[in-house]
Amino acid sequence: MKIIHKYKAIGGLALLILFGAVITACSFDEQVDPNRPSLAGVLTDASQNQLNNLVVGVESAMRNSLAIQTTGSGTMARELYLFDADPRNTQDLLGANGISLDNNSFYSTAPWGGRYVSIKNANILLESVENTEQVTDTQKAGYRGYAKTIIAFELIEVLKSYNRARIDVADPDNLGPILEFDAALTAVRALLDEALTDLNGAGAEFAFPLAGFSGFDTPSGFAEFNRAVAAVAAVYAGDGNAALTALSNSYFDLAGDLTIGPKHVYSLDSGDFTNGLFKIPDNNGDQIIVHPSFIADAEAGDTRVDSKTLIRANPTTQDGLSGDYQTALYASNISPIDMLRNEELVLVYAEANILANDLFEAEDAINVIRNSASLPVYTGALTAEALTTEMLNQRRYSLWCENHRMFDLRRYNLSNTLPIDRAGDQVFNTLPVPLSENE
Amino acid sequence: MKQKSLGKTFLWLFLALPILGFSQGTVSGNITDSNYGDPLAGVNVVVKGTSQGAISDFDGNYSISVANFPATLVFSSLGYETKEVTVEGPTTLNVSLGESATGLDEVVVTGLGTSIKRSNLANAVATVSNEELVGTTAQTTLDGALYGKLTGVNITSSSGAPGGGFALRLRGISSINGNNQPLYIVDGVYVNNAEIPSGLRFASGANRGNEENSANRIADLDPNDIQNIEVLKGASAAAIYGTRANAGVVIITTKRGSQGKTEVKFSQDTGFNTIINKLGLRPWTAQSVEDTFGAAEVDLYNQAIASGGLFDYEDIIYGETGLITDTRISASGGDEKTKFYVGASYRDEEGIIKNTGFNRFSLRANVDHTISNTFSFSASSNYVRSSSSRSFTGNENEGGLSYGYTLAFTRPWINLFPDDTGAYPDNPNYSGNPIFVRDQAVNEDKNNRFIQGIKLTTNLLNTGDDAVKLIFNGGADFLANETFVYVPETHQAQRGNQNGFIGVGKNNFTNFNYQGIAVWNRNAMGGDLALTSQAGISYLEQQADLIFNQSTQLIPGQTNLSQGSAQAITQTTSTVKEFGYFAQVEGNYQDQLIGTVGYRFDKSTLNGDPNKFYGFPKASLAVNLHNFDFWSDGVFQRLKIRAAYGETGSSGAFGSAFTGLNQVSVGGIGGSSISALKGDPDIEPETSSEFEVGFDAGLFNKVNLEVSYYNRVVSDLLLSRVLPTSTGFGSETTNLADLKNEGLEVGITVNPVQNENFFWSSNINWWFNRSEVTRLDVPAFPQPGAGFGLGLGTFYIEEGKPVTQLAGNVNGVPTQIGNVEPDFQMGFFNNFTIAKQFDVSFLLQWKKGGDNLNLSRLLTDLGGTTPDLDTPEGIARNASPIAAVRFVEPAGYLRLREAAVYYRLPSSALAFFGDAVTGIKLGVSGRNIFTITDYSSYDPETSTNGGAGLSSGIEVTPFPSTKQFYFHLNVNF
Repeated sequence: MKIIHKYKAIGGLALLILFGAVITACSFDEQVDPNRPSLAGVLTDASQNQLNNLVVGVESAMRNSLAIQTTGSGTMARELYLFDADPRNTQDLLGANGISLDNNSFYSTAPWGGRYVSIKNANILLESVENTEQVTDTQKAGYRGYAKTIIAFELIEVLKSYNRARIDVADPDNLGPILEFDAALTAVRALLDEALTDLNGAGAEFAFPLAGFSGFDTPSGFAEFNRAVAAVAAVYAGDGNAALTALSNSYFDLAGDLTIGPKHVYSLDSGDFTNGLFKIPDNNGDQIIVHPSFIADAEAGDTRVDSKTLIRANPTTQDGLSGDYQTALYASNISPIDMLRNEELVLVYAEANILANDLFEAEDAINVIRNSASLPVYTGALTAEALTTEMLNQRRYSLWCENHRMFDLRRYNLSNTLPIDRAGDQVFNTLPVPLSENE
Repeated sequence: MKQKSLGKTFLWLFLALPILGFSQGTVSGNITDSNYGDPLAGVNVVVKGTSQGAISDFDGNYSISVANFPATLVFSSLGYETKEVTVEGPTTLNVSLGESATGLDEVVVTGLGTSIKRSNLANAVATVSNEELVGTTAQTTLDGALYGKLTGVNITSSSGAPGGGFALRLRGISSINGNNQPLYIVDGVYVNNAEIPSGLRFASGANRGNEENSANRIADLDPNDIQNIEVLKGASAAAIYGTRANAGVVIITTKRGSQGKTEVKFSQDTGFNTIINKLGLRPWTAQSVEDTFGAAEVDLYNQAIASGGLFDYEDIIYGETGLITDTRISASGGDEKTKFYVGASYRDEEGIIKNTGFNRFSLRANVDHTISNTFSFSASSNYVRSSSSRSFTGNENEGGLSYGYTLAFTRPWINLFPDDTGAYPDNPNYSGNPIFVRDQAVNEDKNNRFIQGIKLTTNLLNTGDDAVKLIFNGGADFLANETFVYVPETHQAQRGNQNGFIGVGKNNFTNFNYQGIAVWNRNAMGGDLALTSQAGISYLEQQADLIFNQSTQLIPGQTNLSQGSAQAITQTTSTVKEFGYFAQVEGNYQDQLIGTVGYRFDKSTLNGDPNKFYGFPKASLAVNLHNFDFWSDGVFQRLKIRAAYGETGSSGAFGSAFTGLNQVSVGGIGGSSISALKGDPDIEPETSSEFEVGFDAGLFNKVNLEVSYYNRVVSDLLLSRVLPTSTGFGSETTNLADLKNEGLEVGITVNPVQNENFFWSSNINWWFNRSEVTRLDVPAFPQPGAGFGLGLGTFYIEEGKPVTQLAGNVNGVPTQIGNVEPDFQMGFFNNFTIAKQFDVSFLLQWKKGGDNLNLSRLLTDLGGTTPDLDTPEGIARNASPIAAVRFVEPAGYLRLREAAVYYRLPSSALAFFGDAVTGIKLGVSGRNIFTITDYSSYDPETSTNGGAGLSSGIEVTPFPSTKQFYFHLNVNF
């Protein structure tokens, strides 16, 4: 009996040891993400398909947080109110009750984060292009020209909101400094020139498709966009002549269709976005309300007021603010949003000419805009100062709710001219850099 | 020598067997409480050294067949001293048992294959019996049922919706982004407690799945099935569970059969629930309407007053009385080889919002079978079908769905009821009409779940001094969850935008685990030293496949996914595998010194290196001073001093090691965009090391005292931190901090009066926890997903500060503005038995201190509907800036958590039913009966972020909590 028991014990233990051994013998495999491609997988020896996927990622992310960026700066510049369930839209952004802007709230974190996602995708694309032999050098130049131009475009958006930007972000573990406006803009302009060189060596066709760049989706077409951005950057730098040069190589056309230009496009497809600046007409609780001053200050007969705004069935009031008009800028939630259209370039042309002291040419450009809005020609003084005022006013109406007004007033030191709606409100014209940048 | 003694044993057995074999018979009798003679039901009677057992009925009667006389019968019942009586032959044996308030003889699991008597335990392991869990009042979920019943436990409710939504925190926060919920083990099966979002955020605009206020799936377990729950609160007790145990372990044992007459039990609970309290309407006057909304609004107000008064939408939406029924039937019994427990239950619970509810159908079959002296097995099977309808609450962004949001903005003079044609008017004050949402929009889930546990024990050797057995146990938990969200195209926020929303989730989870353990019991030093050694392996695998299908741009009136022109699918799969070795030696010297040492090695595919083993040691010592010769009974009848140390771990969440690219598309072209999460390919488990000391004492023959102090250090805390977003990433989860928790837990049990006609027992649990972030490798940061930024207030990880601090921007500087950790908590339970027939009990819970961030009030202030806006405080608050500090409120409370009165029919009354009925018990009870608090919203226990690591204490328009009242009927056959 005892022997049997002993054997049982030995047998059982042996079984257990065997069992344990079997389990440990099959060691766990190296883990891969079952749900998505890995970053490392595209950084080396990427196929053309993988590169093109990144191209889409760059363009797609240009739309990240675009609505918050636009309504935030639009609110701060008293272009509009955003009436929804978040009181920070009517409190923080308007400086209510002595509050200061917060560097850890959606309005300051989202526009920054959104722009840098697109920039990150572009930097991944640049790195992948360096480390692959699957495309030709000419094709590579096309990818580079595209990526760098978009990075520059996005950095300008950062500067408009924050007045500063971090330029060198290619290595997430070793970020460059956050540069002040002038230094950052210099770097942006240099990057645009670099991109132009790449585009000029990129052959006749891109190796990748683009979505919102219809008419600009070849190296030469895209170079026109690159120059249009360079012109914008130049006037922001106060360099009128450079702007004029750049414009001459862009799709700027004083006599042409003002709506021409690349667009952020939207669809209901899976993985795509809808236009966050579209609001259901006459809905409540989620409205872009036109600031009353935009209606009140408009010149009689300005068709832009009618086309961009719509009177509400009921006036609306929230948080001590009220308005009768709502946005009508976009017809549906898949309407495109312009990145940079000819209308803006005409205004940039006017501004560049003021800076370059060609006031007649500036007046001409302003009249193109005025006429397009069914307004009579400009009759004011032909001085740089008066034309600047007129140019900024035309920008106000041509580019309403397109993330321009706050920056326009800031760069001309006019923010203090904005109306105050409620006692205790303040005017802010720069968003604080997010807390997470750990300055 | 050993062989010789073995030989003697078997020789003796061989000789004795034939004689013993013929001396069999039945012992029966009655078991009573020694204090007041009341019959004791449910007492376990076991023939010592065998698996023969029986259980006493409602009248305390038992009957057990004994194979071999003489035999020792062991009578045990939770809460009573265990008694052993030797019987020489078939007889009638009446037994009385003394109360043991501490449950000293109850057995507590301390190893994976072994257990120990509570009186010898070196840790403060909390045990909750079935009676404590559900004996006072009916409970929907087991986690919700634990409120106030254990020291060191903090429970947060993320939703008052039927079907729960709870988070359990044991001894403070031990893990933030790792496994931050305790490991639930039911009859050896590691069960799934996932909180599965329904995807309603894609219609409501909520930021994350955890803002959807889903239930956590431990809700599928019927609390009434549970025999007892052991809670291993800290690393010192849970170390043997290794890398899964950082947030503690909850070991659940379900009811099992015992030998004897088959007992059939029927129970019916019928009750109702109502909102816990109403916040009320702002006392509107024409003047205050004009001051708040302008002159034009006054006309609308006056019209409403003229045509029947204001609409109290809080009452209209949350004011329903929900009916609750819970029906259970079970049978248990068995013979000496096979024992069974089978039961079925159905619970149906309506919510306080129309069209909300929860139901659960549960079937259980637990079987124990002894094949031979060598082999035995147990099987535990549980099938559950549960479903719930939770409607729309919690955070959102302009979805017009969440009631709290809608009510915050809806002015009470607006009529939102459908007109004669059935058309619902638009809400002029917000983007949704709550009546429409309540009547037409749907948020439901269905769960089919099967949990199967199995245990096979092989007794290899039993010589008297040495016993070796092999235990194999394991099981599987399969859960098929389906979610369905429907928002009609006619909903105000849908029209012209999404044009209707259907979200269908199909989510499958399969968990399986097994353990192989060898246990060797040895009596050394002539029986003075009992050694229990064990060694084994453990394997765990968790598979999840979550598929969410969304359809928008719907064909009017259709609820089929294919009836929409814009469709999207997301799939998330994961497989986690873990493997570990463990070994433990426990020595007991004459019940005087009890020491344990153990070690566990674990590896996990969640770690950066999936094949690297991490070690988790443990050691403990208990000294029973009263068992030493020098001890003389004075004030202290009993005094045990104990100390324990242990380590546990927790791996990062699935995916923490990966940096990936997400699918995007623009203009019909698909592509890849960087995922916000930056993976850490070198991620390691966080490790918690806990040292616990304490003593247990028995005083004055009436008082039992249990005091424990613990100090737990979590090293290499896994933290999801916000990265500079200029990197293109949003966050990464890495090991970058240390955290310390320390606290004190005191349990006092007193039996002040023990008369035949009046018996009073009282139990006080008192505890507190303090935490501090002791190391942080990166600058302080707001915890992602645990708040709404420093502007409105957030959890903020900062060295030298409690991990539970709330911070906000004060003059541009992140500043602590509160702390959700209470100063202390206390549970006060009393049970009275009056005239043998009546049981009266109540549980009071007191939470002292602790702050909440009440962001519901942010919304009602903005909407002008907060009830106090006409008071001086309200006016002052409304004039102050929207800053986090404005919304911090004290969240302490005193609550009558449970109370009940039961009446047991005397035997004389039962005679009416003849033999058919052996016991009837009737009762009434209530839950959350009253609450005293300064907190201005529904319930200080709240969380807008579900059960996530740092989630408690931030409120955004939750499903209001409820109070519940029941009538109970229990019949035993």
